[in-house]
Amino acid sequence: MFDVHEMEVNFGPQHPSTHGVLRVLLRIDGERIIDAKPIIGYLHRGTEKLFENMSYPMCIPHTDRMDYVASATNNLGFVETVEKLMGITKQIPKRAQLMRVMLSELQRISSHLLWLATHAIDIGAMTPFFYCFREREQVLDLFEEYCGARLTLNCMRIGGMPDDLPPGWLDGVEKFVDKFEDAVDEYESLLTNNRIWKKRTVGIGVITPEDAIDWGITGPPLRGSGVEWDLRRAQPYECYPELKFEIPIGKNGDTYDRYLVRMEEMRQSNWILKQCIPLVKATPAGDIKAKISRVVRPPEGEVYHSIESPKGELGYYIVSDGKSQSAYRCHVRPPSFVNLQALPAMAKGHLVSDLVALIGTIDIVLGEVDR
Amino acid sequence: MHVEYPKPRWTDKFLLLDMLEGLKTTFRELFKPKVTIRYPEERMEPANRFRGMFRFSFDRCIACKLCALACPIDIIYIDVHDEQREVDGKMKKLKVLDRYDIDVKRCMFCSLCEEACPTKPKSIWLTTKTYELATYDRSDLYFNMQQLEYWEGRPEYAGLPPDEPEPKQIEGGMP
Amino acid sequence: MTQDLLMRYLIWPLVKFLVAFIVVQVIVAAMNWIERRLLGLMQARLGPNRVGREFGIPWGLAQIVADPIKFILKEDIVPSSAETVAYFLGPMLPLIPAFLVFCLIPYGPPPTFVVTHINVGLLLILALTSTGVYGIILGGWASNNKYSLMGGLRSAAQMVSYEVPFGLSIVGVLMLCGSFDLVRIINYQADHVWNLFPQLIAAFIFLVAMNAENNRTPFDLPEAESELVAGYHTEYSAMKFAFFMLAEYSSMTVNCCLMVSLFFGGWTMAINGYGLTTGVLRGWGIYGGILGAVIFISKVMLFMLMYIWFRATFPRFRFDQLMELGWKWMIPLALANIAVTGIVVLLGQELNFQGEVVLSIAGAAIIAFTLYLLLRPRAKVTHARRVSEA
Repeated sequence: MFDVHEMEVNFGPQHPSTHGVLRVLLRIDGERIIDAKPIIGYLHRGTEKLFENMSYPMCIPHTDRMDYVASATNNLGFVETVEKLMGITKQIPKRAQLMRVMLSELQRISSHLLWLATHAIDIGAMTPFFYCFREREQVLDLFEEYCGARLTLNCMRIGGMPDDLPPGWLDGVEKFVDKFEDAVDEYESLLTNNRIWKKRTVGIGVITPEDAIDWGITGPPLRGSGVEWDLRRAQPYECYPELKFEIPIGKNGDTYDRYLVRMEEMRQSNWILKQCIPLVKATPAGDIKAKISRVVRPPEGEVYHSIESPKGELGYYIVSDGKSQSAYRCHVRPPSFVNLQALPAMAKGHLVSDLVALIGTIDIVLGEVDR
Repeated sequence: MHVEYPKPRWTDKFLLLDMLEGLKTTFRELFKPKVTIRYPEERMEPANRFRGMFRFSFDRCIACKLCALACPIDIIYIDVHDEQREVDGKMKKLKVLDRYDIDVKRCMFCSLCEEACPTKPKSIWLTTKTYELATYDRSDLYFNMQQLEYWEGRPEYAGLPPDEPEPKQIEGGMP
Repeated sequence: MTQDLLMRYLIWPLVKFLVAFIVVQVIVAAMNWIERRLLGLMQARLGPNRVGREFGIPWGLAQIVADPIKFILKEDIVPSSAETVAYFLGPMLPLIPAFLVFCLIPYGPPPTFVVTHINVGLLLILALTSTGVYGIILGGWASNNKYSLMGGLRSAAQMVSYEVPFGLSIVGVLMLCGSFDLVRIINYQADHVWNLFPQLIAAFIFLVAMNAENNRTPFDLPEAESELVAGYHTEYSAMKFAFFMLAEYSSMTVNCCLMVSLFFGGWTMAINGYGLTTGVLRGWGIYGGILGAVIFISKVMLFMLMYIWFRATFPRFRFDQLMELGWKWMIPLALANIAVTGIVVLLGQELNFQGEVVLSIAGAAIIAFTLYLLLRPRAKVTHARRVSEA
């Protein structure tokens, strides 16, 4: 009697809210989604093939451009993997480790601010977009003072850091950190208690913890479902074991929980930065690079190393043949690529208007998905 | 730790206080200073280490080709020939730079070339605080040696003078 | 004799209508600039501030002139597969009732500032604003675009389903004031108290229904670009699109005028007969009339600014949540309001107390309590308290 008229519609590659060139092939019945299939590859640039032809230090600017929103963590992942292959992880000086952690946490704040801005404007609230970018501007100014670029940072080198901190940088960080909590409170006053926001996000896109672990989802989507897994605590790297911070986890696994998890992560990153500032001041100035040769030639072997980027577990798998200056094979495990698998299951049964919220909540960046 | 779910009280639900809080925030924002920079009358000044347009110095360059090796995209084109020159009364073989071109269209301003340069102060540097590079014709973005050094016709920021030593002071550490 | 009749029934109303029309169109044109500028200022940025700079016009005010020029000079693209008659009729249909209603609203004390004094004015206004739906449906269908059709139908469903609370919320006001005539309602408010206080819930429902009628945030799903459809006015370019925008802003102005007349006292600023009532304003002759009109326009502008304030703050509803809000919450609330008002007024008549006073005190108490809860200074919840325990 009521037969289902299925319509196949393209949620096209060019769309204001797909955060890049993502194409989702929707099968809808009226407004309900029956199936959503993401089709990717529109931003494929052959990064992994490029890595095979370039020496290791030359690869670092290219890793910036994969997850262009959070490039310091991309750099960190690559650099740490090569150091693990070369076996010099213990020789990185303390000051370099602390600088790496500070840049990563600043990058986490910046990435989450961008996520909140775009997620809110997709759901319809226009003002958090501008407020978040105002704070993000301050973080990007800090990056600019340190390494010279705002978005594609190229701020880490194999064995340490390229430069030491410029004068006034730590004061700038302190000023930012003091005012950031109030800014997060401002965003929360606009969104967290708002009943329209809750209606749009509570109960949308539920991922159960078992499903999340089965699909290999990491990062805030995993923690929003209740699994307490953060690589900074589970497989610590750099100097995270000495820093005090907590890992927020949610309960229901819906969009609202993931929103709350990311807001809390911003506050925790703020706390980490506060702890790092006096620690950096206590290390000797200028001691930022391990004593390795300028030509990077790792021994033969293969290694996989992953770090916690703002979007999830970012992993690099490098195979080296011991003789050449470039990798034999470098494979990247991008978090957004693996998290995107959850989209069809999350979207089934929801309305088309919810699809926008779902794509926003798993926080994909197409540069990372397609590499 | 579990995230905090806000617990609304009955007054929040019936008197719409959650929406009114949002209205209050937006209203307060009307009286805070605005962050727009009105380009081109006001211009944002980049930091000292900003990686802008290149500048090249022919006198300091020793034609070692390390910058071309370091470039990830291979956009530095160098031609060198050997010459016998009289230096201090003896014939020495020197390398003379013929061509030093950079294809700025494809540059990603990663400054690996600047890091690779062995001279002190560097012969190629990017800390020129210039980012307004737009042109109407694509071939204008292929810089040869003279253009890289003298920057004729380009808007110029005074930048860091090429004779100053490395301005990267360090801070925040024990001496 | 005929000349007197002609003057009184044809020429003088025509002149008044033209004046009112011009004033409202100036408001509509200015709203374009005000909306973009105010939205920008609330979002920590400047709105348009550059357009007239070379000619010495500050603050980008020349944008008001530049936008209509752009609309007129733009190329008018008509899709070849569009249904011609309906395509051309589509933008015009919402404009007609929007302009007609300007005749029926009193802008100041009668008889000068009221264009036509009809004793069922309110009923006629409601009927005319309801016919604005036709243009949207026709426009969406005639574009021969699947997504325009969907957007047009959605918008039409939204407007039709919020007509019911729109009308029901007024019944409480009618019970208190006893007439459909807007002038009488305003005079009643001058003699007693603004209808906001006894009819607080009705004012709130009217506000929500007003936002939904005009497709403004938080109900602006038909206009949202981040959804699959871009709305019923996708296929319209240049002047036809400008007609849709004109119709929307005019309809917004008319609804704000209605809100001010019904709930906020119209052109009077009086309470319980003290202050600037109609009698006082008429006593001052033409100056009193102009003062009344200025008061009215200022109140209307305040409500237009409130539209912009809502747009800057709230996210958008999903379509089924929107319909659920309209049918399951607004209509029962409006009916409950009618019931409570009726019971209190009747009891007041039977037991010899003023029912309206009871309702007004209740409304004022709720407003005061809300403002107190909102504006009281609160201790800042520092998350440092929680995290430093670790």
